[in-house]
Amino acid sequence: MSTQERLDPRTGTAARVREPWVTVVWNDPVNLMSYVTRVFQEYFGLARADAEARMREVHENGRSVLSSGSREQMEVHVQAMHSYGLWATLERGDG
Amino acid sequence: MRAFVARDGAAVATLDEEERLVIARIVADVGLLLGAESFGAEHHSTLPHREDLAESLRFLEDLDDAPVEPDDPALLRLLPNASPRDRDVSDEFRRLTEEELRSTKIARLRRMWDELSADGTEWVIPAEHVMATAAALTDVRLVVASRLGLESDQDAEALHAELSRAAEAADRGVPVDADIDPERMWLGMLYDALTWLQESLVSVTLGGHA
Repeated sequence: MSTQERLDPRTGTAARVREPWVTVVWNDPVNLMSYVTRVFQEYFGLARADAEARMREVHENGRSVLSSGSREQMEVHVQAMHSYGLWATLERGDG
Repeated sequence: MRAFVARDGAAVATLDEEERLVIARIVADVGLLLGAESFGAEHHSTLPHREDLAESLRFLEDLDDAPVEPDDPALLRLLPNASPRDRDVSDEFRRLTEEELRSTKIARLRRMWDELSADGTEWVIPAEHVMATAAALTDVRLVVASRLGLESDQDAEALHAELSRAAEAADRGVPVDADIDPERMWLGMLYDALTWLQESLVSVTLGGHA
């Protein structure tokens, strides 16, 4: 999740770019599946089907990585998730 | 109590006076837990619980210092650690965000309290406030769930089994088992009612959202 293909504009080759931090949303027994789906739609701008897929990942696997990028960006996302009452953390991507 | 339905671009639920009072009270308690001044203190006779008051005072003591991880697990659930495995990252996050998170949550709870404290049985939530209200309901449910010790999906299932047994006993007019704590059952029913209300609120379609 923390690594993605990026096209290097000069060489035209795909370079592995490490995104150093990730936002993780964790399963909890309180948050409703319908609510979590809507938060993912509203905040991350995901289409309903994608938001539902992420919600299922949280529910079934216990966690899902919702975003990757700089630590500052991830702090903004985690704060937003906490404001919605979701249990979210930021982690260093393990590349 | 009637669940939220769509009407004229707003979500509308119906709650009688007692239901409004019970929910408004727990909303005010969660506000206090977050360090708010007592909601409607000037015309409301409910006094904060001693532990809530102590929590509020602790918040005042902390004002001069960087915020620290809350001792109360319910408050910790509202203001969680951002990086449980990295204390420095958690502390830095708390320093940067906690004040704003507290005030966002308190403002949402206060608006909900105001709406529930108004006259009438209808609770009308305009489309633009639906998610903020759902978030405030989440915070209240998180606190109630923490008091009920709900830490896993299994805990939630066990609570429902207990509630069913208590309801069955009540239906048959027989005394409930000695191991069922009436206060816990009351809190469990409140939790279920809030869950049901939130589910209906989030499911209401108000244009824009499928």
